[in-house]
Amino acid sequence: MRTPPHWRDRRQNTQLAARKCGGCGFVSFPERQRICKRCGRREDWVDVTLQRHGVVQSYVIQRTLPDEFETPLPFAVVDLPQDGDSGGDPGRVYGILTETDPTDLEIGTRVVADFRRMYDVDGVPIHSFKFSIPRGDR
Amino acid sequence: MTREAAVVGAGIADFGTLYHRSTDDLIEEVYLAAVDSVDRGLDRSAIETGWFGTFDIAGDATSGLGLAHPTGLFDIPITRVENACATGSTAFRNAVLEVKSGAADVAVVVGVEKMHDDPEGLIGRTVRKQLWRRRGMSMPAFFGLRAQRHMHEYGTTREQIAAVSVKNHENGSKYPHAHQQFTCDVEEVLASPTVSDPLTLYDCCPVTDGAAAVVVAAEDVVEAYTDNPVWVAGSGLSSDSALRNNDSLVGFPATQHAAEDAYAEAGIEPSDLDVAEVHDCFTITELITYEDLGLCERGAGGEFVEEGRSHLDGEVPVNPSGGLLSKGHPIGATGVAQIVEIYEQLRGEAGPVQVADDPGVGLQHNIGLGRNATGSVSCVNVLTSDPPT
Repeated sequence: MRTPPHWRDRRQNTQLAARKCGGCGFVSFPERQRICKRCGRREDWVDVTLQRHGVVQSYVIQRTLPDEFETPLPFAVVDLPQDGDSGGDPGRVYGILTETDPTDLEIGTRVVADFRRMYDVDGVPIHSFKFSIPRGDR
Repeated sequence: MTREAAVVGAGIADFGTLYHRSTDDLIEEVYLAAVDSVDRGLDRSAIETGWFGTFDIAGDATSGLGLAHPTGLFDIPITRVENACATGSTAFRNAVLEVKSGAADVAVVVGVEKMHDDPEGLIGRTVRKQLWRRRGMSMPAFFGLRAQRHMHEYGTTREQIAAVSVKNHENGSKYPHAHQQFTCDVEEVLASPTVSDPLTLYDCCPVTDGAAAVVVAAEDVVEAYTDNPVWVAGSGLSSDSALRNNDSLVGFPATQHAAEDAYAEAGIEPSDLDVAEVHDCFTITELITYEDLGLCERGAGGEFVEEGRSHLDGEVPVNPSGGLLSKGHPIGATGVAQIVEIYEQLRGEAGPVQVADDPGVGLQHNIGLGRNATGSVSCVNVLTSDPPT
């Protein structure tokens, strides 16, 4: 494991920076290539930021993982609307949950992305988002 | 295509935890078994091309030399294929395409994987370094997400998902080459240790070493080898990314597209299938695959297995060999082993797991994860006992 992949993705990981296709409205996150994965159009992107609050589309509670991961480790697919959204596609974001009681988690649960330290790579801390259920909702 | 191609020989090793056997040992065994199985014999000099499927987890078979070395086939073109869990079926597909193209009359296809020869293990290594940017997402999580969503959208029950494991272990207990030859019931599946909730241990395929091989011949020369060939009537290969925001949480578009192409080439409908070997790396994978292949309506996979329609005596027996769940999933070998089983089924040589009433149309399917578990690749092959028209 090396640091460059994390350095390249830093804006996406730390600012939820995404892009919207001008052709079909597809929201690409975290990929930032030129070709739209949905409609095939290229070079037609608008920068958008995703909202921190979104809705769980599906989830698992991982209980068996290599030793360095704390278990149970919930993992979810979350749809995050675009900032200032006027009804366009949400970004579909995969992420782990922290400080979450697995029994509180359901499809449809509202979660929030917070900026956290994920792990170190060769002593370099890697920061990104983790999801949790907002305090008021628990 | 300029001409048809058929399978005329097949060989498989007993799958298992094979610390005492090397990659070369396994390749040699299945290559010789496939060649020796050809009804009228196959002279080594007739083999014009080799296709070699391996993920190379053991790290000792990176190129075509991995197949040339243990077989002595040094003087022919050999291509190594890696295509995630569709490695074996993609190697087979490419061999068929080469034979159909006229470039070669006879091809050998060998798939192999020594899953136990990597001390860190594929699963652990992938979870740590690759899957979804090192967040600890595992393969059981990728498929567990789909199980959870399928239950939510279609009312599929946990018991219906477990029924896939019960069926495949029942079949595998009768299949001589299967790794895990035990039977279980729904309660035992639910009570087994949780891996990635909702999936438990018996929802997951084991870690297995194994190899399998087949011989493919062109229609021009097939009579020299057998009166009972199994024809390759159609094939499809497709990819998909979950980052396209499609319906990939409850289905696999890659499988749907691959199946569509294979059915169109073969000129068949899903209802024509008599037997299928499909990718059941996890129980939910097989359940969703029923739907993707058109064996039942979208959302009806749970009832399909619960009603016994995919059982050995059902309308479309699925995974008579026990599938990946019981037989095992040595990645590069898996797809080739499925072809071996369909070949034996269509020739009526499948022994204790033989499907009744002379099956004439069989399907083989793999789906694999790629790209940090954001995408999938699927290969579908359709085989028939009658020559394609």
